[in-house]
Amino acid sequence: MLRFFISFFSSLFQMMIHILTTKKHIIQNVLSIYIKTTGGNISIDIDPKCDVSHIKKMVAPQIGLQPEELKVIFAGKELGDDIIIEECDLGQQSILHVVKIKPGNVQSKISASSTPNSKTLMPLCESLDDLMFSASSGSRTASISIGNETSTSDSLLDEIEVVANNEKSKPKKVHFYVYCPTCKKLTQGKLRVRCHFCKSGAFTVHSDPQNWSHVLESKQITGTCENDSEFCENILQNKEPTFAEFYFKCSEHISLGENDQAVPLDLIRPNLRQLQCLACFEITETIFSFPCEDDHVTCLDCFEAYCKAKLSDRQFWQHPEYGYTLACPSGCANSFIKEIHHFRLLDDEHYERYHRFATEEFVLQSGGLLCPQPGCGMGILADPECIRITCQNCKYVFCRNCLQGYHIGSCDPPEIQETSGTSGDCGTELNCDNRNGAGDDASRTTIKVITKPCPSCKTPTERDGGCMHMVCTRAGCQFHWCWVCQTEWTRECMGDHWFG
Amino acid sequence: MTSAMSPSERRLQKELMSLIKDPPPGVSVDAEQAEQNLLQWTIHMEGATGTLYEGESFQLQFKFSNKYPFDSPEVTFVGSNIPVHPHVYSNGHICLSILTDDWSPALSVQAVCLSIVSMLSSCREKQQPPDNAFYVKTCNKNPKKTKWWYHDDSV
Repeated sequence: MLRFFISFFSSLFQMMIHILTTKKHIIQNVLSIYIKTTGGNISIDIDPKCDVSHIKKMVAPQIGLQPEELKVIFAGKELGDDIIIEECDLGQQSILHVVKIKPGNVQSKISASSTPNSKTLMPLCESLDDLMFSASSGSRTASISIGNETSTSDSLLDEIEVVANNEKSKPKKVHFYVYCPTCKKLTQGKLRVRCHFCKSGAFTVHSDPQNWSHVLESKQITGTCENDSEFCENILQNKEPTFAEFYFKCSEHISLGENDQAVPLDLIRPNLRQLQCLACFEITETIFSFPCEDDHVTCLDCFEAYCKAKLSDRQFWQHPEYGYTLACPSGCANSFIKEIHHFRLLDDEHYERYHRFATEEFVLQSGGLLCPQPGCGMGILADPECIRITCQNCKYVFCRNCLQGYHIGSCDPPEIQETSGTSGDCGTELNCDNRNGAGDDASRTTIKVITKPCPSCKTPTERDGGCMHMVCTRAGCQFHWCWVCQTEWTRECMGDHWFG
Repeated sequence: MTSAMSPSERRLQKELMSLIKDPPPGVSVDAEQAEQNLLQWTIHMEGATGTLYEGESFQLQFKFSNKYPFDSPEVTFVGSNIPVHPHVYSNGHICLSILTDDWSPALSVQAVCLSIVSMLSSCREKQQPPDNAFYVKTCNKNPKKTKWWYHDDSV
């Protein structure tokens, strides 16, 4: 009897599992997408195995048109009728654009060409390959496409050969890497395109982007905007070309709408040429490719290690255009990383530090000051005439010139500051700020006793041995100064007191 | 095996293997010691034939941080025989720009050894650096903390 019950319940249990799993199976097989038309949005559920003509048949009655009058546009391309949806890299909640074929334009590109090349009718993500985006970005890629430089054409040929050997002449589908603000990590990205003017996704490109600069720089690829907004009509009538604007979405989470974008990290690439990491010598699948002539690459682990090492020595560089960034570790010329979102690969703690240093360097470069109070460091942009500076954050009042507590009259000469040490003048200054604990007073005293400020940038500097010739280690300063004179290092210093 | 190692350890492991397998002439690494502690190596170096240091042998100590190779190794002569050379202080510190300012992660232990061999080989007169006595008294234990003034590339 007991056995019967057990077998009954186990079969019941199995049935339930079966129902649950098949239900899950069904759910997986339905793709919920949005159709954006001029009349508004329609939400539909489709089987990923059906083709584009099926979508046209579903949508046409809802907007009062015939299926033959419709164009389906996705990721910069008009999709051919026989394209299967699951080949299009569409995720849940993706948006397809359906527009009416314009009367004068009934002979669309698809029906006009007798032998349609199905590749051009695929969305951009499917028709591009990695090879185009693996070469160095910018001017060098341009020279490859012009093909007037033998050495670069040679290297391009090499690339083709490698791919041909690996993949039997079938290029790999393109890989884009992005930083996704939703997933908060490096993910694979999907290339999408919209109208440069009206930002509508109902836009088809006239040609495929061939390299990173086509994608990242504006006004590189022209296209046709199928949106009926007056704005674009006017532009079209003025015969101005409409340009494509490329952007990226994360492929790892369900789209949260049109504004859910990810930042392209163009220097992270698949390792097509099997290049070795310059630091650990490993050959990894994904690499960080520095924008230098010599194609130096690191693996992603070593890129992170490089950033951390440079960050701890405060050796990032404040680039006037790109921001707080790094160059190729081998010191190649003109190799600064342009897209500083690459530093998002750092963990939270280091990224926070990166951010703080970047802000500080920016403030200093803009002629600002950093509050000298230990534990504060607030950036302050004050009138250059103003000598008496009050920190908005900790309320410390200090002198712009010597970064000591504010005083009337000239700043103390450095020697007197040193000998007076912890007592005297600074004692009164400490009293005016009771908000900070004794620990801060102690660290301030320590900093004051064992350090001297760099005469150029005022960064407190400790000398723990060696000669009197100091070089400020702060990237961007690197001022040569004399520990004794606290002025610029001179031949006289070298002759008189180089070693003390 | 590699997954448990940090990037710097992976790099050092590879360099060590290649130095054991294929050392430059006159250079050999104490493999046993380095395998026990990847961050500190001892390297034996023979003075090249036909140079002032022929027949002498030296010991170099390499110390690596976990930032290696983005941070240069700390390299000093150790042991009883410190070469008498205008760029080598009697405490073993070496004045060689690739060990500080000109370090690049593209360099390696082997490249540093070859530079030191060539630095010794090109010497025409055995003498200590002019400021040796003072430097040795005042310097930091870590030669990387010294701001070197590279003013003579000829020796």
